[in-house]
Amino acid sequence: MSVVQEFCPQIEVLRPGICAFGVRGPARYFGGEAELARKITESVTGRGFGCGVGVADGMFAALLASRDALVSGAADPAGAQIAGAQITVPPVIVPAGETPAYLASRPVTVLGAPELAELLVRLGIRTLGDFAALTSADAENRFGPQGLLAHRLARGLDPRPLVIRQPTANVSVEQEFDPPAERSEPVVFAAKALARQMHARLAGAGLACVRLKVQVTCDNGQEITRLWRHDGLLSDLAVAERVRWQLDGWLASRGEPAGGDGGRGHDGVEAGGVRSLRLLPDQLVRDHGRQLGLWGDALVSDRVSRAAIRVQAMLGHEAVRQPVLTGGRGPADQAIFVPFGDTRPAGRPAGQPWPGQIPAPAPATVYQTPRQARVTDRAGALVTVTGRGEMSADPAQLSVAGGRALVIIAWTGPWPVTERWWDPVQACRKARFQLVTVDGSAWLAVIKDGDWFIEACYD
Amino acid sequence: MGIASAPVMSAPVATLPEHGGDDRRQGLAALLTAGTVRSGREIGPGKGVVSDAGLLPVLPALQDLLPMGALQRGSVAAVGDWSMLCLALAAGPVASGAWCAIAGVADFGANAAADAGLDPARLLLIPDLGQNWPQIVASLLDGCDLVLLRPPDRPSAQTRRKVEAAVRRYGGVLLVADEWDGAQVRLHITDHAWTGIGRGHGRLYGRQVRVVADGRGEWSRSRTRWLWLPGPDGAITAVADDQVHADSADWDEEFGAELALPGGR
Repeated sequence: MSVVQEFCPQIEVLRPGICAFGVRGPARYFGGEAELARKITESVTGRGFGCGVGVADGMFAALLASRDALVSGAADPAGAQIAGAQITVPPVIVPAGETPAYLASRPVTVLGAPELAELLVRLGIRTLGDFAALTSADAENRFGPQGLLAHRLARGLDPRPLVIRQPTANVSVEQEFDPPAERSEPVVFAAKALARQMHARLAGAGLACVRLKVQVTCDNGQEITRLWRHDGLLSDLAVAERVRWQLDGWLASRGEPAGGDGGRGHDGVEAGGVRSLRLLPDQLVRDHGRQLGLWGDALVSDRVSRAAIRVQAMLGHEAVRQPVLTGGRGPADQAIFVPFGDTRPAGRPAGQPWPGQIPAPAPATVYQTPRQARVTDRAGALVTVTGRGEMSADPAQLSVAGGRALVIIAWTGPWPVTERWWDPVQACRKARFQLVTVDGSAWLAVIKDGDWFIEACYD
Repeated sequence: MGIASAPVMSAPVATLPEHGGDDRRQGLAALLTAGTVRSGREIGPGKGVVSDAGLLPVLPALQDLLPMGALQRGSVAAVGDWSMLCLALAAGPVASGAWCAIAGVADFGANAAADAGLDPARLLLIPDLGQNWPQIVASLLDGCDLVLLRPPDRPSAQTRRKVEAAVRRYGGVLLVADEWDGAQVRLHITDHAWTGIGRGHGRLYGRQVRVVADGRGEWSRSRTRWLWLPGPDGAITAVADDQVHADSADWDEEFGAELALPGGR
């Protein structure tokens, strides 16, 4: 790919091994399409790869032409020139305006739509020329949007115009430590300089990054990698601070004293010390600048977010969360927990009416996974609820997660719920009960398919 | 402390007398009823800013149970097991603008917390603290005024002193949902009774609890209050004397036969 880029700066990568480019400009520069194709083939095969070049009016025809180039080269070695140990195949060039004629004799199977091709063959349309002879309105009426697309291809048109991209600028920065840094202070100090360099490169390319990947390599080859949210907001010092937290967190996870206050140093960088530090900007976006809120952003004060990010460095991004209230019937549906710093997903908004919702007061303990339970009647048999919401007997005893059976002194229910009956995967039928046991605890129990679970505890 | 005091907040708190007395209690009650302390659902983002004064205000119903009628910065309060009482104690400070970290509580009822007065936007949850929890608690105290902790294991005396030192250094308040030797204040629920639910009818309406508080020094004499925890609308208020429920005795009579069931109590 990079070889081709030396000839034409703007290329589109179709899939690994295949790229497309517009030839008009480069061909004029290199002295004609044939000359350009020959040069590209030579330099690619010079690197030890086989390569075929096809030139045509449309991307589809060009792709076929390049395949032809490879096939004819392999089938007819006499026509191929020997360049070093590699075989250079001559390019296939379809002159401008002759693309439909070039395609006309091809079988319809080359369209890459097996079902459509089979249908066309059964209708007696065997070549692209036959297919292109239909009007496009007929093709669409009979074969649908896919047929229209194939029809455009058969006529030598492009299904979509070529999209060209700028190659990404290399904006990652790296610092080697020789000899390896035994303490984290020099690493953090170097991180500050690296961050300045990285920000300068990003600004030079007019880019901002959403996340920053910090990669620390130890002398024994171990890599400590972590992604940090950046949003184009972090100063050089803030980046250095995150590198320090990452090292602290790594040490803490190994159960070594990390000297949390920075006062005692970080002598524990073992594993032979730090050999290199890399800062890689992740998810590059065009830098449109950023307007800070006048006062709204102050909700999460610097002090709180520093503490939260520091804990995230020690325990992982998912470890620090914030609750967001959402709508739902059961207590577990009424809140989601979003990792600190992530944007809140647009879920079901709170405050909407949910018929069948569990009435207030809300339980203080909501089990993330409902706990297994047994609710039995006076005779010791499991209580069941019929499809019409009738109970087999009054509940008398509750045993949570195989524990001691507690006498139920008060209860209410069943409150049957049929949720998402329109969706076979998520559909569920259940009935909820509120139970008060003799120790004074109040529970929210649910029976589903004959099994009892405790969803929440009100205490 | 990195949080700036908004003038409107620091003024009333600063006028609180340093020592006990009815004046002080009335002053704080007036402060709370004047709308300084609001429920978490009412408080908008970024409105409240907690003052740097030495006290964090608590809900009016809990004032009689605490020395100085508030939580003192740099102190540890032990609240028995994880329950609504923990949320009730945290509600006052959060409603007046403090950030609260809830550490070690995996099965957190966010809705109950919001009803009690904890604004979800001012909470940090750390469900799993891992091995090195004292260091994490210290980091959290650096950022939050209030840390509600359920320790994963019983700490050694040395660990405890380390955590207490962090509490004093950062001037936060540590609420422990467990026993904690050396806590300045201890609160327990000794009796509780749910109301509104019968045998096959009604629903959970509210719970009355008897909370006993004791502590060290002049607060060593224990104090008792009946609270709605939670009340019918999720709010936490004191129970009027004539409403105090004494139904646990009734239950024993009514269900005496069942309590003798094998597997029962």
